[in-house]
Amino acid sequence: MTRRDFLKTASAATLSALSAGFPRQLGGASVPASRVIATEGEEKITPTADSVIILWMAGGMAHTETFDPKLYTPFERGLKPDQVLSTFPQIDTVVDNLKLTQGLENIARVMDRATLIRSYTAGDLGFILHSRHQYQWHTGYAPPQTVAAPHIGSVIARTLGPRNPAVPAFIDIGQRFDLGEGEELKAFHTAGFLGSEHGPFIVSNPEEAAKSVRPPAGMSPSRFERRDTFYRKLVEESPIGQLGSDYQKESLLRSLDNTHRLLSSPAAKAFDLALEPRPIYDKYNTGRFGLGCLLARRLTEAGARFIEVTSEYIPFQYWDTHENGHTRTIDLKKSIDAPIAQLVLDLEERGLLNRTLIVLASEFSRDMLVEGKPDNKVKDQVKVPDVIDELKYYGMHRHFTDAGCVLMFGGGVKRGYLHGVTADERPCKTLEKRVIIEDLHASIYRAVGISPKLSYEIEKRPFYVTRDGLGKPILDLFA
Amino acid sequence: MKFRLATWLSLLCCSPALSFTITPEQVAQLPPPANHKIDFSKEIKPIFEASCIKCHARGKDKGGLRIDTRETLLKGGDTGPVVTLGKSADSLLIALVQGFDPDSVMPKKGSRLTPEQIGVLRAWIDQGADWDPHVTFARLPPANLKPHLPEIPPGPETDNPIDRFLQPYYVSHNFLPPSPVEDRTFARRAYLDVIGLLPPPNELETFVSNKRPDKREMLVKELLADDRAYAENWLTFWNDLLRNDYKGTGYIDGGRKQITTWLYSALQTNMPFNQFVSQLINPVTNSEGFTKGIVWRGVVNASQTPQMQAAQNISQVFMGVNLKCASCHDSFVNDFTLADSYGLAGVYADDPLEMVRCDKPTGQKAALKFIYPELGNISPDADKHTRLKQLAEIITQREDGRLTRTLVNRLWQRLMGRGLVEPVDEMEKTAWNQDLLDWLAEDFASHNYDVKFLIQRILTSRAYQLPAVNLGEQTEQNFVFHGPAVRRLSAEQFRDALTSLTGIGYPSPLADVVPVEPEQKRFALAVPIFWIWNSTNASEKAKAGHVYFRKTVKLSVVPQDATAILTADNTFTFYVNDKQVGSGNDFKNAYLFDLRPFLKPGENEFIVDAVNNLAGNVAPTFGQEPPTGSESPAGMLFYARLRHFDYSTQKTNDIASDSTWLCSDTVQTPWQNGSSARAASGPSDIGSAVGAASSDMANPPIAWTKASKLGDPGMIPWRVTKSYLSTKIASAYPGRIRASLVAADPLMTALGRPNREQVVTTRSSVATTLQALEMTNGETLDDILKRGANDLLNNPAMAKKSLVPTLYERALGRQPTGPELELAQNIVGKPAQPAGVEDLLWTLTMLPEFQLIY
Repeated sequence: MTRRDFLKTASAATLSALSAGFPRQLGGASVPASRVIATEGEEKITPTADSVIILWMAGGMAHTETFDPKLYTPFERGLKPDQVLSTFPQIDTVVDNLKLTQGLENIARVMDRATLIRSYTAGDLGFILHSRHQYQWHTGYAPPQTVAAPHIGSVIARTLGPRNPAVPAFIDIGQRFDLGEGEELKAFHTAGFLGSEHGPFIVSNPEEAAKSVRPPAGMSPSRFERRDTFYRKLVEESPIGQLGSDYQKESLLRSLDNTHRLLSSPAAKAFDLALEPRPIYDKYNTGRFGLGCLLARRLTEAGARFIEVTSEYIPFQYWDTHENGHTRTIDLKKSIDAPIAQLVLDLEERGLLNRTLIVLASEFSRDMLVEGKPDNKVKDQVKVPDVIDELKYYGMHRHFTDAGCVLMFGGGVKRGYLHGVTADERPCKTLEKRVIIEDLHASIYRAVGISPKLSYEIEKRPFYVTRDGLGKPILDLFA
Repeated sequence: MKFRLATWLSLLCCSPALSFTITPEQVAQLPPPANHKIDFSKEIKPIFEASCIKCHARGKDKGGLRIDTRETLLKGGDTGPVVTLGKSADSLLIALVQGFDPDSVMPKKGSRLTPEQIGVLRAWIDQGADWDPHVTFARLPPANLKPHLPEIPPGPETDNPIDRFLQPYYVSHNFLPPSPVEDRTFARRAYLDVIGLLPPPNELETFVSNKRPDKREMLVKELLADDRAYAENWLTFWNDLLRNDYKGTGYIDGGRKQITTWLYSALQTNMPFNQFVSQLINPVTNSEGFTKGIVWRGVVNASQTPQMQAAQNISQVFMGVNLKCASCHDSFVNDFTLADSYGLAGVYADDPLEMVRCDKPTGQKAALKFIYPELGNISPDADKHTRLKQLAEIITQREDGRLTRTLVNRLWQRLMGRGLVEPVDEMEKTAWNQDLLDWLAEDFASHNYDVKFLIQRILTSRAYQLPAVNLGEQTEQNFVFHGPAVRRLSAEQFRDALTSLTGIGYPSPLADVVPVEPEQKRFALAVPIFWIWNSTNASEKAKAGHVYFRKTVKLSVVPQDATAILTADNTFTFYVNDKQVGSGNDFKNAYLFDLRPFLKPGENEFIVDAVNNLAGNVAPTFGQEPPTGSESPAGMLFYARLRHFDYSTQKTNDIASDSTWLCSDTVQTPWQNGSSARAASGPSDIGSAVGAASSDMANPPIAWTKASKLGDPGMIPWRVTKSYLSTKIASAYPGRIRASLVAADPLMTALGRPNREQVVTTRSSVATTLQALEMTNGETLDDILKRGANDLLNNPAMAKKSLVPTLYERALGRQPTGPELELAQNIVGKPAQPAGVEDLLWTLTMLPEFQLIY
């Protein structure tokens, strides 16, 4: 087959189908590493969503300060920490009896499209370490593991493939990796043993997203085309061509060809926020996270399968409030409230919300006093004074794992539904309908039509998409 | 007979009841016994193999039942006999496979037996349960464990024994080996396989024009003799296997330890493999990281404790078997049991380990043992030190033929593209040429476990020199060796090849490596070097705070190599021409930098911002007078070598810290403090500081005076030896740090360099779209090509006309053909333009001919 024939035959196929499918994809052995294992008793699931957007509140979002209001105690000098359950008054939403906290007014207006879980309980991993809980949230497994566990986005990308061949199936927006705990973050921002073709495609800065699908800086489109033409000619001239085809060569040529097509495809425009009408852009523009939501919307429209937008995890920054919890949460809410509501409305307006599951979540919650769980306390990581005499001590600064909020929209979940109850007195822990990560994952997988018992073979063992295949979808969440 | 289902029993013990009786009604439900004479081998054996032996044979005895032989079957399990000879209806085995008690139906996993199969089993029991005595389901003696030295098949004495073993193999597979590949192809393979670099054009031409018949063998020997280049290539292979890296999880809080210094030196000195393994298992200084594992803070699953990691990694890396399944429960994929894993893990534990089965503590302690007790025992009462010594002796003894076969196989796979045994971590499988594997392993052991000798043995075979074959379509079953597979450059080889092509390597190594003699002799420090500070008695005490040092260097051209080493007591930040080059905080370490990206023709200004800390190594607050009594020794030490050479001459210009440097402790306006912008007061979370990194020299110091010489590098209190400094600066030669010595960057990650959180024995080589995207528009590659193109055009030694042929020689080891030359000159432009050269460089590096090894 000549290069020309090859290009002709390849043009119709999808990105992932082209790059996958070769034997010896990866891993410790020259067997196809990520073979699906048919599992007994696996039910056929009708998907209710085609794509997923995770909105990641990195660093631990306090439930009583956001989506689970409790008794509000305003700041005054001399407060005792045990008097303070929430530092925000509650507000009404468009759903009767469903209250949020002040600062989330825009989201309050779209809560009739939402399912809100208030009983998410993080795993007991001993010593609280953000990156370890984040690893568990994103892979379903606690580190370390004997094999490189894939991110949930890679599992979905690998299982379902891209929705549009020109858009990477798994796009991760907003996280940089050269900051604190960067190595720990890299450990789960990976397709692991599934193979790197399953993402993530990383866009650290949404404003610069267009760069990642454009020719290199300073290269005009015409030069880019010329370079490509030149390359094709030299490939044809190369004496290696006379040796016939081999899979290494073909996979290289295909990958470059796919890339060239991606960079010149209309879908690439989805990455370019500059093309968004200014008024809409401004509605989203609360900073990196807000623009990440805008990018997520554009990419969903273009056909992305799985997108994660993170508020970004940097130790002691953003939701990782070790002090000034109250004042910082005011800013954090400003950064998420308008863009999330706008994302819901925009997707709805475009007829995409029904088939797009949005999941807002965080690795655990926070409390002013309890570190870990009330009955399973771990070492305190923040000193809390006996009396609050400065504003900086006013806020939720300890890591609380016995409750937490997960907010979902679209993709087949109920509208205006509240799941789980937490105590109104400290500790404001989960009382009813506890939700654990295995079941939350099983529910997300269910929405896109994947069984929690699905497994991939690695080193001759099954690796289940929920831990040991034990996840059970929470059927109550679905309409 | 009592016939009652004893379901209560299952409530009493956690495993389902394996003892109950059968009612007459139930007997009536049983499929009737088959009405023919049962053939054990044809009818019973397949049922046992498919449905029973995973849990009740091959070393496993769930419920105490073992069906290794007729005797063990008749003996029964924990609850008594399972077979009553002549009475199948009374046999527990039949009740269990029939599934009268839904909670204890056998087999527990997989499909139920069919009524026909149950009928066959019944008839077999009724007929007396005959058993072919040749059939056993006992644990088989492990394969590939004992050494075996086969006789070399007949053939010319001068032939490489590998080819003599393969000759009869070729004949029996109807394969007529074609002629060996031509010289250029062979040289490219050998260079990349031994030292990981493309053949330099001049060396390649010398080799091609050499007429000696043994020149290929000579080349392999010469390459293997380049200790340093060899080490820097094979470091990648071993880093993957021993999951050693310069960054990664665990380092942030001391939960992991590098073995780089030890490993580099072991490779560079070609440490015998038995000694190498012994030092990893029973660690010496700097090799303990391998068995220390990766420790995350918090609660860790019992199957992933550091001791279990050690057991898994030792078994996988050195013995080529997978212990990961057996770390949770008895394995389903091989014969290892939970007790095997804990037996080995316990060798590394300070106290006896309690076995945990699938997250449930068993209350049992595992007896200490190696996974192959055939090879020797661990004394249960010995202290840990003695146990580790015993373990190392067991694994590296001459009678361990698995260790050698596993390594031979890994190297064969690396050099030929596919192992003699595949997958390489299933060393209990048979090789496609078992005699060859056995013989190579013995040959290796009897040559003092010399890894280089083994590589030479393989590389000088005719088999290695056969034309490359396409292995993509081959399946495991029908593999026939027809020659080495087409392989792809590793991420590191690709990056180093870019360096060969463009001259743009990494600025400084992350790996702390020390090359040995004799190379460093060539790098004796040519000019005197001194510790300097702004006061003469600074080696005794100096004020805490910043002192800036300045040196101006005039250059006619940007040199091809420019390497600096620098250190200061306590910390420093180094700027060249207002750009930050790097920093350091340990005076015992001389930090190494590549200055070329920062230099320009004309005047160049070096500025070192050195900081003398307060007592307790606390950084002083900028602009604040330090408290009295906080003085401590302070000094700065610098050496740079700038070299420029064309093809005939070489000019060196050495610059050292001395009294010609200027110094100052004053800046114009209050300094923008570049130190930590940590947000929290009581940080017990971990993580490095964020933001506000002092980048460029925005606020230059003023009021310069002459620096004071304090003394030689070796002076008290620092005692830095000149040989250390010369070694360190030698390690940069030729100013181009190799990819194996730095942390992964986006380009290497995209090209498949693993993050080494797990042991990696085979990398994926298939090209992916995300990878191609990184190569097409990624900043890392783009930057290399831009700088490379610029350097090439500004190099007066590079005649413009010969640019295209030179690049073809460097990249592909050949001259361009007529049409190629025309196309390339067209893209480069007339006269050559930076963008054109950049595009040519990109195109050349994307060619299959460049990225693949044929």
